[in-house]
Amino acid sequence: MENSNAFRYEGEKAWCPGCGDFAILSSVEKALTRAGKKPEEVLTVSGIGQAAKLPHYLKTNGFNGLHGRALPPAFGAKTANHRLTVIVTSGDGDVYGEGGNHFIHAIRRNTEMTLIVHNNQVYGLTKGQASPTSDKGMKTKLQPDGVILTPFNPLAVAIALGAPFVARSFSKEIDLTAELIGQAMECGGFALIDVLQPCVSFNKVNTYQWYQQRAYRLGPEHDPADRMKALAKAFEWDEKIPLGVIYKNPRPGYVATVIGDAKPLVERDVDMEKIKGLMARLY
Amino acid sequence: MPQTTLTLGGMAGQGLVTVSDLLLKLLARAGYRLLATQDYMSRVRGGHNFIQICIDADPVFAPQPAADILAALDRRSMDEHLRELTAGGIVLHDSDHTPPTVNGVRFAGVPMNRFANEAGNPVYANAVALGAIAALLEIGMAGVDALLREHFGKKGNEAVEKNIAAAQAGHRHIARYYAETTRPLQPVKQKTRMLINGAQAIGLGMMAGGLRFVSAYPMSPSTSIFNYVTANAAELGILSEQAEDEIAAVNMALGASAAGVRTAVTTSGGGLDLMAEGISLAGIAETPVVIANIMRPGPATGLPTRTGQEDLDLALNIGHGEFPRFVFAPGTAEEAFYTAIHAMNLADKYQVPVFLLGDQQLVDSYVTLDRFNAARVRFKNYLADPAKLPDPYKRYSLTPNGVSPRLPYGTPGARVMYDSHLHEEDGHITEDPGIVRAMVEKRFRKLKGMAKEPGAPTWYGAKKPLITLACWGTAYGAAREAVDALNGAGIKAGMAHFNRLAPFPSGEARALLAKKETLHTVEGNFTGQLARLLARETGIRTGVPVTRYDGRPITARFIIDRLKEVHGNGKFKRVSL
Ligand SMILES: Cc1ncc(C[n+]2csc(CCOP(=O)(O)OP(=O)(O)O)c2C)c(N)n1
Ligand code: SF4
Repeated sequence: MENSNAFRYEGEKAWCPGCGDFAILSSVEKALTRAGKKPEEVLTVSGIGQAAKLPHYLKTNGFNGLHGRALPPAFGAKTANHRLTVIVTSGDGDVYGEGGNHFIHAIRRNTEMTLIVHNNQVYGLTKGQASPTSDKGMKTKLQPDGVILTPFNPLAVAIALGAPFVARSFSKEIDLTAELIGQAMECGGFALIDVLQPCVSFNKVNTYQWYQQRAYRLGPEHDPADRMKALAKAFEWDEKIPLGVIYKNPRPGYVATVIGDAKPLVERDVDMEKIKGLMARLY
Repeated sequence: MPQTTLTLGGMAGQGLVTVSDLLLKLLARAGYRLLATQDYMSRVRGGHNFIQICIDADPVFAPQPAADILAALDRRSMDEHLRELTAGGIVLHDSDHTPPTVNGVRFAGVPMNRFANEAGNPVYANAVALGAIAALLEIGMAGVDALLREHFGKKGNEAVEKNIAAAQAGHRHIARYYAETTRPLQPVKQKTRMLINGAQAIGLGMMAGGLRFVSAYPMSPSTSIFNYVTANAAELGILSEQAEDEIAAVNMALGASAAGVRTAVTTSGGGLDLMAEGISLAGIAETPVVIANIMRPGPATGLPTRTGQEDLDLALNIGHGEFPRFVFAPGTAEEAFYTAIHAMNLADKYQVPVFLLGDQQLVDSYVTLDRFNAARVRFKNYLADPAKLPDPYKRYSLTPNGVSPRLPYGTPGARVMYDSHLHEEDGHITEDPGIVRAMVEKRFRKLKGMAKEPGAPTWYGAKKPLITLACWGTAYGAAREAVDALNGAGIKAGMAHFNRLAPFPSGEARALLAKKETLHTVEGNFTGQLARLLARETGIRTGVPVTRYDGRPITARFIIDRLKEVHGNGKFKRVSL
């Protein structure tokens, strides 16, 4: 039932009018509805930032934790109850900056979950400082002479680490984002979807027009299984920015490897006989 | 004081661990009560390590300042520990190392290297030493033989036979040339006891308390708990994950906890610092988690492999903002087991972070104990029954006792929202001052129930003491021995031990300590953290705290010496230790 939306939250949303975050929220609702999920089966996890407010605006289970720390609790919840569909939705500062170490290791750990990064190339909530993905030269109050650091390339890093599913979208492309989320949830491992998201209040460089002029959809000629071609696409930026599935590298996820067909942890009981057995061995 | 104290010293990587493991097993199986304290340098090879084994028919609570037997696997061990021998003490050494002449000390030289080479390989020197030590204690070869068969069985027949031959050579040499130099142990009734260290006791307690998920980042001296749980995780149905850092470790645990399982993290000071924000999150998100912080001296890297009690203030205060918490510090391995279970239960019951403070001395020391009483282990599931809750479900519903019914993620019909902001009852962000006030008050209403949970300080010693000691955590053993020594010398002494430091048992503390004239805290830190806590929570003023801050365990003699410094030698003259 495509049109009935069990995930819609009707209350106020504290995003600026015109912010790309609204469209990403619609894509998430759409993808979950299309996948036939029930709200109680889904857990949405985030850190802190504008993007990270998303779990509050979606009727699923939620964990809105600390700045930069979205991925670790998502791992904990997924492994404690692997029947949950886990979606992590947070900002570029959150995931690539404060939580950069977790980003790297979450890909290595390859837990079955979908990470959606609202990449607005700026810190929104704290009012416009440079983020790890800000383009060189962008001027802010804290970078008055323009950003001099080399931008972080999340797609290239994810590909280098062998992530099973690496994709890029643009918030305006609601259907494409929803389609990619749908594929990501099925990929059997850790999926990254980096979504270009205009911040109308603080990013005056990478605007709707800026993205629109550059973004194009990858056609069937792109082979996402080819790692080197995928890397080449990950580095396309200044003139043209590819959207779609950049890289696919199916491999068994953490839960499949470590837990397999066993009962979820949350359904397991304490066995005192086994504790007694451990004591008997201490002799 | 124990019947016999034996110090075994050697270089790291020399097989000291093998000799001491086997010796401990040998003594435990013979029925002795043991306390074995390890002293390791922070290096994997070389350097100087030793283990002190206190042997008695009754439980031993504290390490000793002196040894009756010194078994030196290398020259340096002989030189360093010679002056710690009691009168008539014995030094077992390799005959290659010519001993100095020392009055009142007896030397037993064994050609350890030669015997090892005769058995086929220098590595058998350990077995030679084991045989020789057994002979010094007048323990027959039969037990040693059985143990070596068991231990080296996996490595094949040759390894077994050569080790036995080496051990026999050492044993025979003592029997033949040093029959007068032995120190026989009083026979005891044999009893099946566990040989267990504090790390195993804490790990076992967590597992008995329903642990399902553990995440940690390695850091001495906490790693041994993580190792022990991980080794048994598959069998017990526990998931163990080595996180990329301590920040990840604690946040992973919180996610698992929100999904409805019991979780714990293990760490040490610096790692705990990194967990601060996550602990604060556990406070506001009301997410159960047990944090085992195993102390070593700081600040920063401090003394990585040594012991101390410097993190009480940290555990009481870590995490910005205000939220209720439990802080426990068991005194012995046995107490650590039951405290760990208690911690797991209370975290779940009150949905708060619970700290379990141990130290290097606790986790690395072996003791012999009767098996823990499984019947004393109570496991109650505190997750709510969704059928009994109003619809829609509210994660942070305002309740009279402050505890909101908790449902795990995935409960049909329920939306479960955990949040790090100040939030409404359903977990939605809010800035409404009325709701904020109500939520803060709700969280702190838990304190009333928490304070009523077991955790009163225990008393040991004379009813109306002249000298009173107060301590927390592993200072227990040394304080207890000091109290025994004082009472033995006719100076009435008693002590209070605090297992629970938060919520602080103020009423009980006042009842025990308010009118005590000479009152000192005994602590493994410089500033006297318990002394300050007592003053703050009860108004009770204590005398100069007895503090040890050199990374070594507190002993009864250390306490008595400090008391002499403070009060003058006079009335303490008779106290012998
Ligand atoms: C430990 C910590 N440091 C700093 C902050 C302040 N802070 C909140 S959000 C944010 C950056 C948000 O940027 P981004 O993740 O890109 O999200 P956006 O707001 O742009 O969606 C910062 C620095 C914080 N909440 N916690
Ligand atoms: S500040 Fe930027 S990112 Fe935040 S809500 Fe406004 S437009 Fe969106």
